[in-house]
Amino acid sequence: MVFNSLTFIVFFACVLALHSLPFSWTTKKINLAVASYLFYAAWNPPFVILLWVSTVVDWYAAQGLVKARRPAARHAWMLLSVIANLGMLGFFKYGQFLLDNFSALMSTLGIAYHPAHYDIVLPVGISFYTFATMSYTLDVYLRRARPAQNLLDYALFVTFFPHLVAGPIMRPTELVPQFAEPRAASAQQLRFGLALMTLGLFNKIVLADSFLAGVAERIYDSDKLPGTLDAWAGTLAFSGQIFCDFAGYSTTAIGAALCLGFAMPDNFRFPYAAVGFSDFWRRWHITLSSWLRDYLYIPLGGNRHGARRTYAALMTTMLLGGLWHGANWTFVAWGGLHGVYLAVERALRARFPSYRPGPLMFVALGLLTYTLVNVTWVFFRAKTFGKAWLVLCGMFGQNAGAKPLLTTFNLVSVAVIIGGILITHWLMRGRTLESMVARAPAVAVCLVWALMAFAIIAAQGAGNAFIYFQF
Amino acid sequence: MPSSISSSDLARPGSAPHELRGAAGGGLAHGDRYARQTAADRPGVAQPVPLRPVPDHPWGKILASAVLLLVLMLAGWEEYWRAYGVRPGINNTYGLWAIQRRRIDAGEGDATVLLGSSRLFFDVQLPVWEGLDGRRPIQLSFEGTSPLKATEDLAADPKFTGRLLIGIAPDLFFSGFEFRAGAIRYTRNESPSQRIGQWLSMHLIEPYLAFDDPDYALQTVLARQPWPQRPGLPEHIRVRKLSKNEADRNTRLWSKVETDPEYRALARRIWLQNFDPSPDDPSPAEALKTEKEQIERMVKAVAQLRARGVKVLFVRLPSSGPFLAFENRSYPRARSWNGLLAATGAPGLYFEDYPELEGYTLPEWSHVAPSQADRFTAALYGVIRRDFWRPDAAVASGQATPAR
Repeated sequence: MVFNSLTFIVFFACVLALHSLPFSWTTKKINLAVASYLFYAAWNPPFVILLWVSTVVDWYAAQGLVKARRPAARHAWMLLSVIANLGMLGFFKYGQFLLDNFSALMSTLGIAYHPAHYDIVLPVGISFYTFATMSYTLDVYLRRARPAQNLLDYALFVTFFPHLVAGPIMRPTELVPQFAEPRAASAQQLRFGLALMTLGLFNKIVLADSFLAGVAERIYDSDKLPGTLDAWAGTLAFSGQIFCDFAGYSTTAIGAALCLGFAMPDNFRFPYAAVGFSDFWRRWHITLSSWLRDYLYIPLGGNRHGARRTYAALMTTMLLGGLWHGANWTFVAWGGLHGVYLAVERALRARFPSYRPGPLMFVALGLLTYTLVNVTWVFFRAKTFGKAWLVLCGMFGQNAGAKPLLTTFNLVSVAVIIGGILITHWLMRGRTLESMVARAPAVAVCLVWALMAFAIIAAQGAGNAFIYFQF
Repeated sequence: MPSSISSSDLARPGSAPHELRGAAGGGLAHGDRYARQTAADRPGVAQPVPLRPVPDHPWGKILASAVLLLVLMLAGWEEYWRAYGVRPGINNTYGLWAIQRRRIDAGEGDATVLLGSSRLFFDVQLPVWEGLDGRRPIQLSFEGTSPLKATEDLAADPKFTGRLLIGIAPDLFFSGFEFRAGAIRYTRNESPSQRIGQWLSMHLIEPYLAFDDPDYALQTVLARQPWPQRPGLPEHIRVRKLSKNEADRNTRLWSKVETDPEYRALARRIWLQNFDPSPDDPSPAEALKTEKEQIERMVKAVAQLRARGVKVLFVRLPSSGPFLAFENRSYPRARSWNGLLAATGAPGLYFEDYPELEGYTLPEWSHVAPSQADRFTAALYGVIRRDFWRPDAAVASGQATPAR
């Protein structure tokens, strides 16, 4: 079930109504768990089994970890969890990719190997919930957290529908404690939660789907050569689309949880106002970048073992982070480029430790960061390296003779929306959404809320899936 | 061991740690009671329960006012489109198509199926056909879309054993053009959530709101404002709303095309765009190759269908004026239509061969006027019944008739 659907509106109204009835806290939690399974099953019922497998394996692995006396036993329980989760992820998400690459490798070695093509359906959100469940076992293994007190709380942590299929990727320590005592949204929380959901859906349905997606498609899904203006417009449109799509999902999820009385973490913090790439990754998909930092980069040595090891850990983390997004080498290239950016930035900081940019240079560095991020988006959006190369050639003026592809309306849409996003991010880069809303006059909040709701309805979203569902 | 499952870990608005540091070069504003850390600020530790403060505002009044404003804006939007002549109808979505497609798998495999492009879709009226035949056909046509893929889909479905009327719009079928290509894939993969959403939309929203039509979606309306034409980009007006649909996909040309001269002229101007050669057109050799490929695929599908007793009839419904001239020029009957019939061995009905099917008003040269669609359907049914699907005749079994 996607948030931007009529089905979800009815579903959510039922969940809110049930949650407000005077049931015991345990009954309410059971209701939420059942609702969450229904939320997932509404996409493809059999895959609920995968959720159960992931839940049960990590539940018992964590129990085993606590009871284990010997380090080797603890290690084994941790490995069981990691192998089960990554195995599931590997089979469903990377099975065909690995097979195809193995086949290509054999072919280059002169060995004809043609395995059957398996139409493996990717269970929606598997990358998100496997990471969430792994963080539970890993936190217990690393002695950062105690295991949950009962299976219901843990199962609800895994399946809680607002974060289940596209994050924010929650840690057990963020959510499980919230199930310990009865929670209900106050009237203020409910209303603000609804406002957040409106904002999120506006981002997704109006900005991402209605105005930006089509522009990106015209450039990236066409076989025509894009000129400089079109290539940049298409890429900028995608930069806006993916932000509005994903940040829109996160905001809707946070709002939905708040309506039920639960708090979820920030997943984005005005990333297009980042100055530098370490700053970008502190603002973009925060729950994934911090997950990769805590469970991959730091265990790989982080910055504790000299420069060479640090760069190796950085590149490994970013390459795997790229692969997490999809079974395609273009995603690896995207991650690799970010890794290179981070490494260069790190080297520059080491070389010029006392450098502090002035205000103009600060903005210039921010714009440079955004520009270079856009170069990475080319690899993220293009389905093949050939297509990515064509768009990059266009962006850097190498497609001589290219004819215009986008209309004036397309160009104006991109300019207005991307300009608006950049200005907003720069105005809010040191603040939170809540502080900006609190400072705005109530009349303006009301007007913006009504206009966003009107635009959502008038845009008639077609229930398009969120981009990150495929990851 | 740091325990992070205790509610005592909960920080509260206003008590944010003073060492808050935001992103490089920036940092969250000090003294801001809504400032908070994120997981990015806490490496290598258990993440605490997040903060989610509510900004100080009279949210009850804001919500009530916003709802009131929203209702007023929606009422104005609805009124605007009703004044333009739009009335509520059912949207022709993939979900709506899927409902009809599933009828074949749910016990109606022996039904008559209409499978074509917009002409078979708009011109044939299901209630009239039902009145004459006793059974309502299943309408699986899609505007702007070659019926080939859907025919192949039916050919591969052993549950379908009925009668199949395949509408051939030459410029779509022989070029393999598919404006709505995703219906079959959508039907196969349709999730329970999408099914429920389709039901909710066609029962609770579409019958009541005129503006809920893709042609009046906000971005579509904005896009067709008179923006300056970009130099070097050929002007191209997208096809506007042409039809009005019902819940079982019974559809007819929108009455505005017939009654509003300005709108009719616009519809004609849109068609005219396609009739002049364009640099994007395939070469004659490529076009011919595509035409042959379409026919070859149809031959296989028809053979599969007829092997299990399905009666297949190709129909070429009326077009007129510049549209007909364009079709005759691009896909001459002697080559394309006759070639299709000869290759498949299936019978075909060409409108020009039947006086009963001529003389109808085609407001934009491609579809029968809605006021005449009932009469046209009756005439078409009469011809089919008389010459092709006679209950007691050998012809009814799908024997080929020589092209006239």
